Amino acid sequence: MQIERDTRGAELGPNRYEDAEGYIAPLPAGYGPRSNPLGAFPTGPEVGEYLPDVVAVNSEGSTVDLHIDREGKPAVLVFTRSAVW
Amino acid sequence: MIDFEAAGAKLYVLSYDEVDALADYKQAHGATFTLLSDPHSEVIRSFGILNTTIAEDDHPWHGIPYPGVYVTDGEGIITQKFFENNFTVRPGAEQLVAAVKGEDVLLAERPATDQEVEVEVEFEGNDLPVGITRQIVARFSVPKGMHLYQEPVPEGLVAASIELDDEAEGIVSYTLVAPETQPHTLGTDGHTLEVYEGNPVLRLPIAQNGRAITKDDDGRWVSVSGRVRWQACNDETCLVPDEKAFSFRVPSAFTVMADMGPGEGRVPSMNGATHFKKMTDRRKTAS
Repeated sequence: MQIERDTRGAELGPNRYEDAEGYIAPLPAGYGPRSNPLGAFPTGPEVGEYLPDVVAVNSEGSTVDLHIDREGKPAVLVFTRSAVW
Repeated sequence: MIDFEAAGAKLYVLSYDEVDALADYKQAHGATFTLLSDPHSEVIRSFGILNTTIAEDDHPWHGIPYPGVYVTDGEGIITQKFFENNFTVRPGAEQLVAAVKGEDVLLAERPATDQEVEVEVEFEGNDLPVGITRQIVARFSVPKGMHLYQEPVPEGLVAASIELDDEAEGIVSYTLVAPETQPHTLGTDGHTLEVYEGNPVLRLPIAQNGRAITKDDDGRWVSVSGRVRWQACNDETCLVPDEKAFSFRVPSAFTVMADMGPGEGRVPSMNGATHFKKMTDRRKTAS
């Protein structure tokens, strides 16, 4: 799937750029961290599928296997861009 | 703080950050959920959601996912997922807890159709000085055979309009300037409504009263925001009502009346006091 970058938007003033939905940020739409996909884009496994294994290190440095760690409970898994910026 | 634990669910947040960054985040924000570190984007890739619009050498941005959320049941089966094109848009925790409880809370997709109305919204002018009217201009492109409505409309229909946000303090708006309309009789109930045909241009004249000005190091500014609303119909059917938000920030500029006097950027003084005294004296002499 060739994904296009959404560069629609407008400059509102110094360091103020609006994207196609009116969100304002210091960078123009389609630049670096402001890279939104335009149109269809992959969103991973589908509803009804088993959540793929997630094994990753947590903030304490221990390895977590999501499906073991959730102990039979429902899980909410958030993919976020960064906790830093 | 929305309680995922009380809803019987566990919350995991995964990003491409290093472990120590997540530890600092957890401490700084007092986070109680599990933060997972995926510094080489391996999990992100295994889900197929790496943001590939960012080039591999575009450091440090390469490696982030299209942000989104998966909700599973107790068996680990995905029951709902949330992905929006615009990364700024994320589901609220209330929605996620509702999803855990089995409620369907997905955002409805807007109908993708070639019958979509397009609208360009523009602030006409480079600035908005106190007391000078400018216009917010909405230029519609309406598919052939469809039309937009003029106020008033019966309940259930949305007329084409330009509305300012309530919090637009200091902005004064006037009567909408609109092209001529044609009477149109609805087949269903015989109502006759006024419709805009073709590609209408609506114009909302606005001014500001001085209280809308904000100042920063770069100057004095006025912000105007609101939305254009409309609903398109043809003789048989109506599309769902739609709207487009706009937000303009323009220099407030200086006007002669309020801002004459010394100082950078102000209207140069033209000895107004002297001229006023001279005029007053002349009239006294004449009377």
